[in-house]
Amino acid sequence: MYIMKLHNVTRAFGGLRAVDEVSIEFSSGGITGLIGPNGAGKTTLFNLISGLLKLDCGEIYFDNIRVDGLTPWEIAKLGIGRLFQDVRVFKKLSVLDNVLLAKLQHPGESPLSVLFSTRRVTNAEKENLGEAHKWVKFVGLSGKENSPAESLSFGQQKLLAIARLLAGGYKLLLLDEPSAGVNPAMIKSLLELMKKIADAGRTIIFIEHNMTVVLEIANWVFFLNEGRVISFGRPDDVLGNDEVRKAYLGV
Amino acid sequence: MIFIYGILALSMNLLAGYTGLLSLCQAAFYGIGAYSTTLLMIKVGINFFPALVCGIFITSFISLFIAYPSLRLRGDYFILAAIGFQLIVFSILYNCVWLTRGPYGIPGIPRPSAFGFQFDSLPRYFLLGGFIFFLVLLFTRAILRSPFGRALKAIREDELTAGVMGKNVPALKIWAFVIGAGIASVSGALYAGYVTYIDPTSFTLDESIFIIAIVLVGGSGNLKGPIVGTFFMLILPEALRFLGLPVTIAPNVRQMIYGLLLILLMRYRPQGIAGEYRFE
Repeated sequence: MYIMKLHNVTRAFGGLRAVDEVSIEFSSGGITGLIGPNGAGKTTLFNLISGLLKLDCGEIYFDNIRVDGLTPWEIAKLGIGRLFQDVRVFKKLSVLDNVLLAKLQHPGESPLSVLFSTRRVTNAEKENLGEAHKWVKFVGLSGKENSPAESLSFGQQKLLAIARLLAGGYKLLLLDEPSAGVNPAMIKSLLELMKKIADAGRTIIFIEHNMTVVLEIANWVFFLNEGRVISFGRPDDVLGNDEVRKAYLGV
Repeated sequence: MIFIYGILALSMNLLAGYTGLLSLCQAAFYGIGAYSTTLLMIKVGINFFPALVCGIFITSFISLFIAYPSLRLRGDYFILAAIGFQLIVFSILYNCVWLTRGPYGIPGIPRPSAFGFQFDSLPRYFLLGGFIFFLVLLFTRAILRSPFGRALKAIREDELTAGVMGKNVPALKIWAFVIGAGIASVSGALYAGYVTYIDPTSFTLDESIFIIAIVLVGGSGNLKGPIVGTFFMLILPEALRFLGLPVTIAPNVRQMIYGLLLILLMRYRPQGIAGEYRFE
């Protein structure tokens, strides 16, 4: 069972082919790692999937629906969530508001229903509030609900961004370097969290430079270099591959 | 006048303070509201209140034509489009003499009345203005405290992330813009009924800038800010009259004190007197 299929996905910036005819099938469930040197096209690939960049050519299917060419919000509503490398929480809003915003298709986000179907909006918001509290607790940020997001440490902001993803109910989570800039103790709880999420049946694809992390939690690994997939397989096998070692680890 | 500008400030706050849209054409909607209400009263002969409601719909509808194409553009282009729209509306009001009497303006606008009660004296009009201002305040409060208002704030903070989180960014901005236009038209109607004479010079780009200044001075992102800003910008110039300065230099000194206060405010309190959000 494949949750997402990329076919010949290509994107160039000027003369540089950042992503070059990439064809990958991601299986449903589990944790897949994307590794590769800086500039290998990993983040560009994420941006193409979430609709922030347009493809030059190729196709992307999610749940058998073609998603390339859709807007970011249409793609999000289909069930693809995204964690940015620099987390991008809404800094001036409270922790709770950040998570409340995650709900997709909230009736209260149309001013017409705010004015004319008040009860539906109130009920949806009540439910949303319960959910949000649950996820804030789940990632371990209880007690910080009303603090502005900018008052959190970088690691905590990452947890908040993950709570936001969970509250969105996405089937597929794209995590861009979840362990970067996070202290070792928190990396551990972050990995626990990712495993818990995967066990709950959601699919995770993550970009990572920390090989210990990759070896510990990834079920599958794709190695990218210069916009192309060089190697694919179980983490041990990929990291043992000669070409990968030469291109990435310099050994 | 306080209430008229108060309503304008509320509409601007919805756009600038919550959505992050620096709209430089609020005076155009203020003018469209004033003209459409007036023309409905004079040419069609309906009462002030239904004319006001029709004016809201007309203004909101017109605002869609500018919102739809321009809000799909990014930041700076939107500001340029808004200035362009402001200038176009002014020239239409100025040159469509058959409809608006152009530079001659429209005199003799009837005062509002309801159930035989005339809002013709100043205190009575003050009450009417206060009442309508209060209604608008309740309306904006309901809108901004709803999940819709929260989504607008998210757009102000980070448009890209809001999009990736499933918020239809252009649609939400268009909504905010259209609602803001509708609110501005309410103060246009109140203005027409208050001074009983309107001409295009009341609805210029300068006026739009003044509305933004109110919100920037008072502070944006909450509901206190625009109210404080309105008091500051409208009452302070009047209050400075009572300083007892010699008549010959008084007007100039007043302007200087006023300018100095604005500079001090920008230096020491860039988010405005009561604002929670700083414009960048």
